[in-house]
Amino acid sequence: MSDTTATRLVADERARSAERARQADSRRRVLQNAGVLIPFLLVLVAGLAFVPHFASGSNVTNVLVNAAILAIVGYGMTLVIAVRGIDLSVGSSQALAACVAAAAVNAAGPLVGAVVGVAVGAALGLVNGVLVTRLRVPGFVATLSTMSVFRGLVLLFTGGAPIMIASTSFKSAATTSVLGVPVPFLVALVLGAVAWFVLDRMRFGKHVVAVGGAPEAAVDTGISVDRVLLLAYLVAGAAAGVGGVLLASQLGVVNGSVASGLELQAIAIVVLGGTSMAGGRPRIIGTFIAALLLSMINSGLNLLNVPSFYQYVALGGLLVFALSIDGAQRAAVRRMLEGRHS
Amino acid sequence: MTTTDTTVADSTAVATRTGPLTVARRLLARHYLVVVLVALCVAVGLARPSFWGTGNLSNVLFQASFVGLAACGMTLLISAGLLDLSVGGVIAVSSIAVATVLPHTTIGAAIALALLIGAGLGLLNGLLVTYVRIAPFIATLGTLYLFLGLAFIWTSGKVVPITSSNYRATTTGTLGWVPVPFLVLVVLAFVTYLVLQRTYFGRTLRAFGSNERAAELAGLPVARVKVGVFVVAGICFALAGVFMAGRLSSAEGNMAMGFEMNVIAAVVVGGTALRGGRATTFGTVVGAVLFAVLANALNLLAVASYWQYVLTGTVLVAAVALGARRSAAAEVRGAG
Repeated sequence: MSDTTATRLVADERARSAERARQADSRRRVLQNAGVLIPFLLVLVAGLAFVPHFASGSNVTNVLVNAAILAIVGYGMTLVIAVRGIDLSVGSSQALAACVAAAAVNAAGPLVGAVVGVAVGAALGLVNGVLVTRLRVPGFVATLSTMSVFRGLVLLFTGGAPIMIASTSFKSAATTSVLGVPVPFLVALVLGAVAWFVLDRMRFGKHVVAVGGAPEAAVDTGISVDRVLLLAYLVAGAAAGVGGVLLASQLGVVNGSVASGLELQAIAIVVLGGTSMAGGRPRIIGTFIAALLLSMINSGLNLLNVPSFYQYVALGGLLVFALSIDGAQRAAVRRMLEGRHS
Repeated sequence: MTTTDTTVADSTAVATRTGPLTVARRLLARHYLVVVLVALCVAVGLARPSFWGTGNLSNVLFQASFVGLAACGMTLLISAGLLDLSVGGVIAVSSIAVATVLPHTTIGAAIALALLIGAGLGLLNGLLVTYVRIAPFIATLGTLYLFLGLAFIWTSGKVVPITSSNYRATTTGTLGWVPVPFLVLVVLAFVTYLVLQRTYFGRTLRAFGSNERAAELAGLPVARVKVGVFVVAGICFALAGVFMAGRLSSAEGNMAMGFEMNVIAAVVVGGTALRGGRATTFGTVVGAVLFAVLANALNLLAVASYWQYVLTGTVLVAAVALGARRSAAAEVRGAG
């Protein structure tokens, strides 16, 4: 008699806690989606209504290409943040990849140049990964240092002078369109789909979630945390390399100081897209939408002839906003899970 | 009387019996950085005798004092397990404030205004970290660009010259060949040391630097002290900006771009553990001088200045990696 009562009580409690978890999850999803979709729609409508030439063909192409480069770097950053890391060196990595790629294009042709650029990015990511996993340097200090080191290397590589890209076929890669969509944007879509599939449907994605959510538990279940971390930094570097190649193709002329401050933009879009700084929740689609949002804001401010310094302020504000949403969402979930317990 | 004498003699005997070698080794382990610094100075002096010229030495100390002044604030932050990447922004805004108001007010008022602005910007950082609960390095990365943006907007991207020759004379004067900013640094470092080791504020800092949850449970005013330390750090950064503006006799938005890197490197190489709880102000000053000597050596040897980026980053990562290895060993022994 009392036994059955006890089991019923336990079952009740279990159902209630499952219900709480479900509610917390849906609340989180609402906040995450609202956090990026509402600003996206607001900026889109405001841009169409108030900014002249916002919907013109050349501006749309410009926005899409910039968003694509940003989104690709953002995918890598999403992965790193999902495993509770951070990569502050993406801007410098991208610059080094772009400059080496440009030199390689001039020396050995477009295809070799592109491959070399991505390989350079991956190698730099590997350096970060080794520093974090083997030498046990905290991610943000390791990448803060390599940010400086890579920037120094790219300035040494270029000698402070710009590198002109001679190959017209390489330069046209970023500006041609297939069915009205610029090639870099297609690349970003494909890479995004791949990243989403890997994170959502493959074992590596589950490992990323496990490592980001609870590293100790991940170790206990036999996941090689170091391997996941190393791969995450490697992918982030390779993504920066892809972004660098596309940037070189878009600009046609690269120098040692391109892509400075990129790390802030990448972090901003990742957090704005709903990937929590607490780790374990990668959201590739959110990153993609947030990249479009940031690119629209930048182009809108440019078209309105706002001095470029205001873009700094807009970016800083956007980041703080995104982080506040992230914090609010975590607090809301915590309240849902704990608050009604008594 | 005689007994005390014998005990003194005994204790010295004991000390000598433990061996001057052990003592020397312990001293070396503790102050290896000073040894490195001296060795570096000797090496550079041998390669380029002009290093020992008083003009060059005071130049080195000038560079060291800018980094060192900011690093004193950073030492407090890092000992509390926090970090501030907005150094460059705070320096830019406060220097621009000095340069803008100098034609209209006294030197003292201008400096006071700069320090006030530093405190205000630090307060913003502190509130974001403490009450909005954003991780310190991300929050201050955001405010770095915010402050830089403000600085550029304020000046429209132009350089603001400092016309007051009195201001330049005050901030770049030398006592013998030792620059005034370096003397200020020595005083500030001593004050920082006292604050860290001898005050309630400093104890609270170190307590929540090593274990925030425990400090909260012990009833320490963690939130208030956290905001406070960001304010103090902001004042230190502004002080660095005051002297930097005097040295450059101008102020502009990107006058201290990337400065946060040098400051953090000086603190960490000096021996303050990044994970908090423990700090050495003396080490910070030595670290600042070390980097200044290193940069000066590269200049004297006519190495491309870009190598400085590479070197600073490498030294920082190496210092942290070594520290991580050492603390891991301490944990294994159960002493950490």
